[in-house]
Amino acid sequence: MIFLITSQILNGLATGMLYALLAVGLTLILGALNIPNFAHGALYAFGAYFTFMIAGWTDSFYVAILIAPFLVVALGFLIESQGVRRLYAAHHDYQLLFLFAVALILQEMIIIFWGPVGFSLLPPDNLSGAVDLGIFIYPKYRIALLIFSAIVIIALFLFINKTDLGAILRAGIENREMVTVLGIDINRVFLLTFGLGAYLAGLAGGLVTPILGLTPSMGLDILPICFVIVVVAGLGSISGAILAGILVGLSQGVTTIWWPEATNVVIYVMMGLTIIVRPQGLFGSR
Amino acid sequence: MRNRYLLIAVLVFVVVGPFILPPNTVAEMLIFGIIAVSTNIMLGYTGMLSFGQAAYFGIGAYACGLLLKAGYPLILAIPGGTLFSMLIAAMVGNFCVKRTGLYFICLTFAFNQMFYFIAYVWTDVTGGEDGLADIPRPEIITTPEAYYVFVAIMFGACLLAMLKIVSSPLGLVFRLIRENPERAAAIGYNVGLYKWYSFMIASGFTALAGTIYAMLYDIVPIDQIHWLKSGDFIFMVLFGGSGNFFGPLIGAVGYIWLSDSFALIWARWPLLMGCMFLIIVLYLRGGVADLIERAYGFLTRARRGAEPGGSAA
Repeated sequence: MIFLITSQILNGLATGMLYALLAVGLTLILGALNIPNFAHGALYAFGAYFTFMIAGWTDSFYVAILIAPFLVVALGFLIESQGVRRLYAAHHDYQLLFLFAVALILQEMIIIFWGPVGFSLLPPDNLSGAVDLGIFIYPKYRIALLIFSAIVIIALFLFINKTDLGAILRAGIENREMVTVLGIDINRVFLLTFGLGAYLAGLAGGLVTPILGLTPSMGLDILPICFVIVVVAGLGSISGAILAGILVGLSQGVTTIWWPEATNVVIYVMMGLTIIVRPQGLFGSR
Repeated sequence: MRNRYLLIAVLVFVVVGPFILPPNTVAEMLIFGIIAVSTNIMLGYTGMLSFGQAAYFGIGAYACGLLLKAGYPLILAIPGGTLFSMLIAAMVGNFCVKRTGLYFICLTFAFNQMFYFIAYVWTDVTGGEDGLADIPRPEIITTPEAYYVFVAIMFGACLLAMLKIVSSPLGLVFRLIRENPERAAAIGYNVGLYKWYSFMIASGFTALAGTIYAMLYDIVPIDQIHWLKSGDFIFMVLFGGSGNFFGPLIGAVGYIWLSDSFALIWARWPLLMGCMFLIIVLYLRGGVADLIERAYGFLTRARRGAEPGGSAA
């Protein structure tokens, strides 16, 4: 029993790290750009499919995971500069319809390019198989995933809290007008923010492929989870999004032990409890 | 006066429609017409963008279907399904209306998917992935003709009720809240309560439409409660035009017609719908209703200009 619990907690942590990557990207876009990014799941799915495609061409998962997220960034730049930028002055309803349309189109393009049937992708050779942790054995890839995503999250945290660009991003979330008044080209900040969000979504999509495989609907399935995490964290808190992401992943992992059918419902129970106790979200101030 | 002409146009469509198009298609248009107009009471009149209306549509449809399957008569199943869905909307709305902007969108969206998963997991009751099947149609409306007449009567009653609501003082308060919530609060209106009323009116009519929908094809597919459906509702409103009471009706008719015809052309028809959404967002803000109004204005101006002493015309 103790083995089962520990391994499920590790599983939950790994899932939670991926959720954190997605939720930070979404929080950046929601907070700084003030648009409901319903294409976030589609960017995640494209990250996975680009990784799959490049891994097929180069025979190397590492090359794929390095390049694929940048292709998603290019896609994000395209969406921001061609569509979203024209809609900053519009109401949320048109922004929402636009990003909803982008999500639909991208999802259908996945089916056109790669077919309606899913794929699976093996982890790289030196990360396949399991490792003996003393009390139980655990898949190598998941451990690597845990360590790698922890490094990415720490790097992200340092980038946002310690660098000048990170300060501009945080300022953009707090007070958009003030950033413009300071003489910073807000359009470039928005483009970079959307790009960073897209990078994180694409990276999460790529990293998840050896565990969950690929299906055309993966973007549509992950999107509500991202939004639940943002609601639990509270809008606009980056460290909140990281913690809430890990929390949601963990609670899913733990639920799997006793009631596997409820893993998809438990996150909504968490959300419900959160907004009853703290309507502004766990870490939200607004 | 203008409303009367538009009502006559709607009446003509309801009467002539089933002779031109398959009656079930027109019935579907009328059902989604109720939803589009009611969603617009919240979106266009009160300025609240809920991305979760499919939840109340789906819950209404499931509840009504279950009541019919349990053998309850039509006269109980419809109010039963509607009230059950409204009860849930009342609780969810209570949380959501306290938030504004993006947070309101996120919350309504997340709740929508929560109810989807409940329908998905609770297989014994809802049929899970296969949807709720074999819903019996009550005896009085078994034939397609009788069902269509029933839908048309319900549609007419809902439309008149909603027209009454938006032209009442309550409708004015909704518009006040859309334009300036701070001022509305300063005058002494309980903004949260009125937003909740608006949420309840929209969700109630949407739930009622859901109960009627349950009898259309004798099945409630699970994708009727999925968040993608909520996006379709928003599309109907914006396609028709949120600035006009009757606009969303054009949107509902257009949506059903477009998706039916696209589905015939290509299996990947959602891609074409997506492109349609983009065209609306980038080139047709204000929707079809606004386009017609502008065209009408242009034509009357042109005619007046051509007549001597145009101002008398």
